Amino acid sequence: MAAWSIEWMHPWGLWLLPAALLPWWSSPLRRVTWVWNALLPADPLSRLLDGMVPLLGSLTLAALAVAIATPYLPERTVTRIGHGAQLVLLLDRSGSMDNTFAGRAPSGDEASKGEAAARLLQAFLDRRPHDWIGVAGFSTGALYQCPLTADRTANRAAVATIALPALAHTHVAKGLALALDFFADLPLTGSRAIVLVSDGAAVIEPSVQQQLRVAFKRHQVRLYWIFLRDAGGPGIEEAPTDPLQDNPHARPEYYLHRFFQTLGVPYQAFEAEDPAGLQRAIRTIDRLEKRPFHYEEVFPRRDLAGLFYGVALAGVGLLLGLKVLEG
Amino acid sequence: MRRRIFHDWRAGLLLAAAGLLAVVMLKPYGWRERPGYPLVAVVDITRSMNTRDLRLQRTAVDRLSYVKDRLQSLLRQLPCGSRLGIGVFTERRSTLLTMPLEVCGHFHALQTVIDRLDWRMAWAADSRIAKGLRDAMTLMRRPELRDHALLFFTDGHEAPPVNPRYRPDFKALRGKVTGMVVGVGGTALTPIPKFDETGRPQGFYRPEDVPHRSTFGLPARPATDAPGYHPRNAPFGGEYVLGQEHLSSLRAAYLRTLAQEAGLAYHTLTDAAALQAAVAHLGVREISLQPWDGRPWWGLGAWLVLVGLYGGACWVDRYGIGERKT
Repeated sequence: MAAWSIEWMHPWGLWLLPAALLPWWSSPLRRVTWVWNALLPADPLSRLLDGMVPLLGSLTLAALAVAIATPYLPERTVTRIGHGAQLVLLLDRSGSMDNTFAGRAPSGDEASKGEAAARLLQAFLDRRPHDWIGVAGFSTGALYQCPLTADRTANRAAVATIALPALAHTHVAKGLALALDFFADLPLTGSRAIVLVSDGAAVIEPSVQQQLRVAFKRHQVRLYWIFLRDAGGPGIEEAPTDPLQDNPHARPEYYLHRFFQTLGVPYQAFEAEDPAGLQRAIRTIDRLEKRPFHYEEVFPRRDLAGLFYGVALAGVGLLLGLKVLEG
Repeated sequence: MRRRIFHDWRAGLLLAAAGLLAVVMLKPYGWRERPGYPLVAVVDITRSMNTRDLRLQRTAVDRLSYVKDRLQSLLRQLPCGSRLGIGVFTERRSTLLTMPLEVCGHFHALQTVIDRLDWRMAWAADSRIAKGLRDAMTLMRRPELRDHALLFFTDGHEAPPVNPRYRPDFKALRGKVTGMVVGVGGTALTPIPKFDETGRPQGFYRPEDVPHRSTFGLPARPATDAPGYHPRNAPFGGEYVLGQEHLSSLRAAYLRTLAQEAGLAYHTLTDAAALQAAVAHLGVREISLQPWDGRPWWGLGAWLVLVGLYGGACWVDRYGIGERKT
C-alpha cells in the first residue's frame, strides 16, 4: 500500500459519477425564448456565464458522487527518529509477590507487591509514548504475555496480570531466556533493555549462565533489575559475612547481582523496599532510556469526504446565486 | 424577484439540495449498537495436551496446537467490539497472560499471545482439572472480569487420578460465572509424548511413569475386599495397580459432569464455526457503540434531488410542459 493511497468507505457511490454529464443537456435556469438572438446586445459576461452553468452543475454532481463514496486516507505509520527504546518488562509472578513489602499477606488497604508493581508500571507505560514494549512473566515457567509493540493498551492488559494471584517459584533464568528471545528476530533500531522486576532470586546453573551471557551480548540488550526487597531482608549489595551463608543457595540475590555485573552489558540494579522506592527506580529507567530510536508514528485515518461535500455545497450555492441573477 | 425564486420549482429543488448538504456539513454522526462477546479463554497446557490425536488439514497435531488454531479462527471471526483475554491452566491454578482486549484494535497482540502458548509455560506438572476450573472461575469473579464468559479448554485428563472423595466443591461459584468447558482430544487412547528437562522429546510416557489411581487421603469406600487391604497402612488395598493413565483420550463424560456441577455449558471442540456458534449460544453479549457516519445518506438525498432537477429540466425544456414561457 502506497503511503498516500486513497480508500473508499462506500465505493458504490462512484457509480453515481456518470450523472455528472446531465447538466450538459439541461439547466436549472429557465429556457428563455427570444424572437431573434441578433436583437440582443453582445455581452461577453453572459457568454462566460453560459458556459459556466453546465460546468458548475457537472462539478457539483461529480463532487457529490465522490463525497458519497466517502474517500479517506487510511491510518498509516511513518518511521521517525525520536527518543525511546525497545523494552521487555520481565515480571516476577512467583508466590511471594502476593505479600506486602513487609513480607506479610496484605490486610485492609495494604497492597501486595504485585499490585504495587502493576500500578507503578502502568504509570511508567503512560510516560513512554514511543517505545516498543513487550511483556513477559516468569514463575517456575516463563510466560509470554505481550509481544514487542507500540500498542500501550495491550501492554497495560498484560502488566495488569501481575496483580492477579501469583503462581509458584522464581526461575529467573527461564524468564531471562524468554525476554532475550523477544529481540532474536528484530532489527536493531535503537537501544534495547530488559527491565526485570522481581522480589526474589534464584540460582542459575553455570552452563545456563554462559548461554545467557552470549545472548545478552549477541542481541545487545542492557539490563535493569528492580529488586523488590522485603523490609529487613538481605540486599543485593551486602556480601555475606557468615561463611556458612556465602553460597548462591543461601544468598541467591547477592550472587545473581554478581552474575549480572559480569554479563558484559550495561547493567543497573535498584533496590526498592516500598512503593516509593519502586517509583524512584522506574523514574531513573525512564530518564536513562532516552537514546535515539526509530519509532513508528501512527497517523489516524483522515476523512476526505468533507472536502467534497463542501465543494458540492458551494456549487449548489453558486447555482442558486445564478438563479437569483436570472431574474 | 424574490417571489419568483420561491415559485420556480427548479429554485425550490436547488434550495432543497442546499439544505440537505447543509445537514451534511453539520456532521450527522451517530452511534450504532453492535453486539460483541466478552470472553476469557483459559487453555490447559499440561502434558496430556501434547498428545497428537487430532488433525488439522490432514496433518496430525497435538491438542494444544489444535486449540491454538481454533482460538485464532475465533479471534478472526469475533465481531469488532468483542473482547478476549488469554489465560493458561496447569497444576491446580489458572492465570491470565493478558487481560481482555478488544479483538480488532489489538488483534496483533492477541494473535501473538495465542501463537506463543506453550506447554513449557507450565509452572508445575500436575493436572488437577477440577481445581484449575474452580480457580479460573474464582478469577472470573474479579470485578474487571465479572461480565466475561469463561472458555475453559481442556482434555479432561486428571493427573494424578482424583480420589472421588475429594472432588472440589463448586457450590459457592455455581451459577455466578457464565461460560463453557471446551473438551479437546480424540476418542482413542493415545500415548502422551514425554520431554526431558531441556524440552527435547523423550518418546512417550510408559505405564510405570505415572500413577494409575489415587491413593491420597481416605478412599471413598473402604476397599476392604481389595487384596492386601489394611485400614491404616493400605486403605486403598496393597496391590500395585497398572492402568491406562499413561494413555490419553478426551474424557467428555467427565467434563460434562464437571461442567454441570460448575453450572457451565459443555462443548466438544471441532471446527471453528461450531465453536463460534457455541460462544454465541452462551448468551453473554455486550453491546458496544460504533461510530456511524450518516453523511452518505443525506448526500445521496441531495444527489437524488439534483438529478431530479436536471432530469426534470431536460424533460420540461423539450416538451415545455407546465412552464410559462416569458
